[in-house]
Amino acid sequence: MADHRALRQGRSAAEIGTDVDAEVRFHLDRRAEELGASGFSSAEAHAQALREFGDVDDTRRYVVRLELASDATRRRSRYMTEFLDDAAYALRRLRAAPSYAATAILTLALGIGANAAIFSLVYGVVLQPLPFPEPDRLYAAYSANRGAGQLQSPVSPVDLDDWRASRRSIEEIGGYWYAEGSSGVALVGRGSPQRLSAVFVEPGFFPVFGVPPAHGRWPREDEMVRGGPDRVLVLAHGFWMREFGGDPAIVGSSVTLADGPYAVVGIMPPAFRFPADGTDVYVPYSTIPDTSIPRQRFVRVLEVVARARPGVGEDGVRAELAAITARLAQEHSGNRPWDSATVVRLAEVISGPVRRGLFVLFGGVGLVLLMACVNIAGLQLARALGRGREMAVRLALGARRGRLLRQLLTESLVLSVIGGLAGIALAKVLVSGLLALSAGQLPRAAEVSLDAAVVAFTFGLSLVAGLLFGLAPAWRTSTEDAQAALREGGRSVAGTGHRRLRVAFVVAEIAVAMVLVVGAGLMGRSFLALTDVDLGFRPEGLVAVQFTIDSDRHAATPAGAAAAAEGARPYVGYYQQVIEAVRRLPGVVSAAAVKDPPFRGNGERINVRRPERVIAAGESTPVATAIHVSDGYFSTIGARVDGREFTARDRAGAPFVLVVNEALAREHFPGERAVGRSLVLGGGPIEIVGVVNDIRQVAVAEPARPTLYIHNLQNTRVKTTIVARTTGDPARLVGPIREAIWAIDPLQPITDVFTFDQSVGRALARPRLLVVLLGAFGLVGLALGAVGVYGIVSAIVGERRREIGVRLALGARPSDVLLMMVRRGVALAAAGVLIGLAGAAGLSRFLASVLYGVEPLDAATFAGMAAVLLAVAVAASSIPARRAARLDPVETLRE
Amino acid sequence: MGERLELLQGTLDVLILRALSEGSRHGYAVSRWVRERTDGALQIEDAPLYKALRRLELAGAVEAEWGASENNRRARYYRLTASGRRQLKADASTWERYAAAVADVLRP
Repeated sequence: MADHRALRQGRSAAEIGTDVDAEVRFHLDRRAEELGASGFSSAEAHAQALREFGDVDDTRRYVVRLELASDATRRRSRYMTEFLDDAAYALRRLRAAPSYAATAILTLALGIGANAAIFSLVYGVVLQPLPFPEPDRLYAAYSANRGAGQLQSPVSPVDLDDWRASRRSIEEIGGYWYAEGSSGVALVGRGSPQRLSAVFVEPGFFPVFGVPPAHGRWPREDEMVRGGPDRVLVLAHGFWMREFGGDPAIVGSSVTLADGPYAVVGIMPPAFRFPADGTDVYVPYSTIPDTSIPRQRFVRVLEVVARARPGVGEDGVRAELAAITARLAQEHSGNRPWDSATVVRLAEVISGPVRRGLFVLFGGVGLVLLMACVNIAGLQLARALGRGREMAVRLALGARRGRLLRQLLTESLVLSVIGGLAGIALAKVLVSGLLALSAGQLPRAAEVSLDAAVVAFTFGLSLVAGLLFGLAPAWRTSTEDAQAALREGGRSVAGTGHRRLRVAFVVAEIAVAMVLVVGAGLMGRSFLALTDVDLGFRPEGLVAVQFTIDSDRHAATPAGAAAAAEGARPYVGYYQQVIEAVRRLPGVVSAAAVKDPPFRGNGERINVRRPERVIAAGESTPVATAIHVSDGYFSTIGARVDGREFTARDRAGAPFVLVVNEALAREHFPGERAVGRSLVLGGGPIEIVGVVNDIRQVAVAEPARPTLYIHNLQNTRVKTTIVARTTGDPARLVGPIREAIWAIDPLQPITDVFTFDQSVGRALARPRLLVVLLGAFGLVGLALGAVGVYGIVSAIVGERRREIGVRLALGARPSDVLLMMVRRGVALAAAGVLIGLAGAAGLSRFLASVLYGVEPLDAATFAGMAAVLLAVAVAASSIPARRAARLDPVETLRE
Repeated sequence: MGERLELLQGTLDVLILRALSEGSRHGYAVSRWVRERTDGALQIEDAPLYKALRRLELAGAVEAEWGASENNRRARYYRLTASGRRQLKADASTWERYAAAVADVLRP
């Protein structure tokens, strides 16, 4: 009966209608006959039969509609059944070939897992909108001094007040002062003093972001002005949970900081982590006294964020700020060089530093997936060859070609779905691994997760991959000439077309691998160049303890008052006492202090010129970096000084002296010895007593800027880092150093503790992450390429067994056979390498921005990597080639 | 012919199944069987009858085949399937219980 139904399947509406009509006509005729027998005339009988029947047209329409609808459902369910059949069949077949299935699934899982993981990072860090309402309207703004080439300088709080007062197309603008490790406040009265990471905010900061607090409120504007009731603070969510266990009742109560009680007015929600993940509290900037950071136009310390009015773009914001700034430069002589403003999208500022690196990784991982797909397509094709006979038989038995095609595609899809699932599991592991590996290197790391978007992307990827790598082999197989396949008994269905396709796959694979290894090679060389950089000091064995001296508190002590009476800063004695105490510690070879240790601060900007040099109107004074150090700093960190470094005699009251670095000496005294010469920093000439070698300050990859060093006893700063050279493990001395400081001042909060190895490591961490990952991609590329070459040479050896046997029987030496086969493999690889070299040359310029000390088209890297790839090809093809050389001619001829 | 009763909803299917339970019939025979068995008490129009036959066929309760009729004309014959037989049994017993329950309620 199923057959009977099947035969009727798919009838057209007209056919169904005819069928119904025939049935109805039979009924009407019979009824009319019956009525005729009981005395009706023929015409009357027919009319009566029709009346009794009812609406014939309606019946026909009803039946046609019914059958067509049921046909459609049946078709759908048949399709589903067939798909399930195919899937079950595919699973059975994969189980029957476990090594093929395992290779394919593993390859896919790797490709897809790596892709999903990297995409998670790219999405979380770069693509995902910032977690603020209407983030497209948010910008960062900077003061710009075009003459000095300083386009992104922090903004003076006084200038910011003017920006804010004159704004029109900017809805709201606000500033904040935050410096990792140095903008902190001490929390006291809750156990031992705790250093909190504080962000000092100006009015406008919270409204710019527009994120409402989770509890309480933002500070009012009158709570953020000097002299107002500004002892208020807002807690970041993480700190609130950690310190107060998430108790909302804390809003309205007060906490004690070093300078007194503050009222907690609000708590921000967990998603608000600006400007950094580690932020603990938001404090009004107005609470910073003039003795710490004077509120004057030349003091540029604030980062500025702005929200444009709806419909106003980047250009509008820039034009407005530039106009206000130009006016300020006219009105205030000190502002003259600072005549413009720079505006950048906030999203770009936040993810900018890692954006390129992430996209490079994304590109690399995409290539890995491409290779994985090509590899699996090759595997599938090889399998399809073995199935030639099966397909031919099924075609001959009347199987529909489309159905066979679908079956092959189903197998690909089943593979890719399993691979995709395994990939997601792998991605989960990879994401947490990557986040751990890039700790502290990635902005918005807390927003990275394997979320729905990423899973959807992965699945899409695996489906596309499935179609991609299933299509070519499926198409080849189903267009196979069935008769030819049957005739050849399925033994050597590997027609030339098939082989050509496989060869193309392998060449493509090698080409992609080439691009990957060149990328990895360039990154590797760049990383080596970075680690090879002469830092200008010896980081090993150095330990640093960072803290900020509370000037006001020390002014209140008798010693402080005495120092102040002599014209020195009140905390100078304390500062020296601490250095001396650390120097006395066992295990410390020498110790000194610095305001901005390398990689932990950029120093201050200062105008500098030779005394005889006259700065013409309109010309800008040269700018140098100024770093405050104590005596013995250069010898402690292991830098070389020509002349002398500071000594304890260079104190307040003694003649002001300078040490400069070689870069500054080169700029201002080209071809002369700078020691003994003088510089003008604003007042009278100051003698240079020493020239120190260039010390990398901003970043490992950034050459030293012209820098001058100022002795901290002659021009003091409260921000202090004690640097000590130690014997043995420097980390061991962290505890004793801290104790030594607390023995002098038990209330001194410690900001940070680090070793310089750590510091250098941190500076290298991002490049290292890139090189490790690209290196891994390169290795995967090499491995997949080797598998490809191995596979194709194996296949060739398999096909040419007889021929090889004949050759051997005719006296060819096994080494000839070996060479012949290896040559085939290497020839393929060479073609791939050439294409890959061209591709790499085209793509490597995208790497330029993350490379250091190596050109994107570095010939040595390109040549070296080509050699590596060819060597891998030789190795991969020599395995099957050796098998060919060992063939027994008698046996092959008998087959 | 006595008073004619309107057909209750859902009754037609069970009547058709019952008509076919004695062997395969064409639509006209089903119609006659119903009329004769009820002595004309049930008024069945032929159009709904044919619609119901087709519906039952697609539902798998009956199957149809063109065959030769008594007077050697082509007619569409319907036959109960196993599932149709089960449906008849279930429907008939439902009907009997329903009729008994209604009769119980209406009994004075």
